[in-house]
Amino acid sequence: MTQAAATEHHEPVENTSTGLNSRKLMMWAFLGSDVMFFGAFIATYLVYRGKSLVGPYPSEILDIPLTSVSTFVLLMSSLAMVLGLHYVKEGQKNKGTIWILVVVVLGAIFMGFQFYEFREFAHEGLTPRTNIFGTTFFILTGIHGAHVTIGVAWMAFMAYGSHTGALRKDNALDLEIAGLYWHFVDIVWIVIFTVIYLISATDGPPPGVGPTILH
Amino acid sequence: MANLWQKLTHHDGNGWWNLPHGPSNELNPPHEGPIGGAWFGNLWQTLTHGGVSHAGAGFYWLVGFLLAVVTLLEVWLFTVEGLGGWYIPILLILSVAKFVGVVAYFMHLRFDHRMFTYFFASAMIIGILIFTIILFVAEHAHQKPLF
Repeated sequence: MTQAAATEHHEPVENTSTGLNSRKLMMWAFLGSDVMFFGAFIATYLVYRGKSLVGPYPSEILDIPLTSVSTFVLLMSSLAMVLGLHYVKEGQKNKGTIWILVVVVLGAIFMGFQFYEFREFAHEGLTPRTNIFGTTFFILTGIHGAHVTIGVAWMAFMAYGSHTGALRKDNALDLEIAGLYWHFVDIVWIVIFTVIYLISATDGPPPGVGPTILH
Repeated sequence: MANLWQKLTHHDGNGWWNLPHGPSNELNPPHEGPIGGAWFGNLWQTLTHGGVSHAGAGFYWLVGFLLAVVTLLEVWLFTVEGLGGWYIPILLILSVAKFVGVVAYFMHLRFDHRMFTYFFASAMIIGILIFTIILFVAEHAHQKPLF
């Protein structure tokens, strides 16, 4: 491929020591550090899995159908994100704005699900102080929820920028970097959904301990 | 209808099913695909018909659909009884497939410069090491010290 063809079809080579955009590289480095951050919390959850001496236990409280819906919502928000970026890069302002707004709405719905779940758990007697399951569960999902909240705010800002014309085809990298963050929040949830919900949902009380009487 | 057919079948840069191009700039050897190797590069060039700078919307819909199907499969597996020891490995494999799908296609890592892949892969390796060390230490916490 000739250099001319390369310039026509590809992103420009940045004038940096790596030839890559420094902001994008920084986002990947940040996401790398976040992998370790979440890795430590997920490992901690697994270390204390099944070690709660009092209930409620995961099998008594986790609502798989509800969480499956919220997982689907977050997954679809990732699709909306990539479509938003696609249309902004194509210079289709309205479509770009709409899809970014869809990300905001789906992210907010996911937060609503999480708020509802936390409230239900608290109602049934599970708080971060109840048992070791509560502590590790709320810390991990709470930190993820905080990430989602930041992402929703960031996306709302991007949608506004796209609507006003501040976010355009030529500076779509701003949205791409925000999108990397959003997709990362999604992949973390993919792991959390599998490890905490689908795998741990059958965890009951330890041998010799009876089930919890839920309110 | 004819227009819909064109959209579905054309790979000329305007159809829905355009696959993303490989390396995003000339720092990657131009003859190689994003996972390296001339054989793959040639196949890739054929698939993308010379390539466009990013995928068509239909391609992302397809990936999103497949990810949704995998999620449904995971939830269905939860309701299936009799999987025994296979349940967790199958779930982990499906989870990794979704993880890779999002990172590779939605985050464009598959088609971006390899340096980004190296960055993220390095972090994943360190993250998995931390994960393993925590589990190992916790498992052996009540035993005689190793050293």
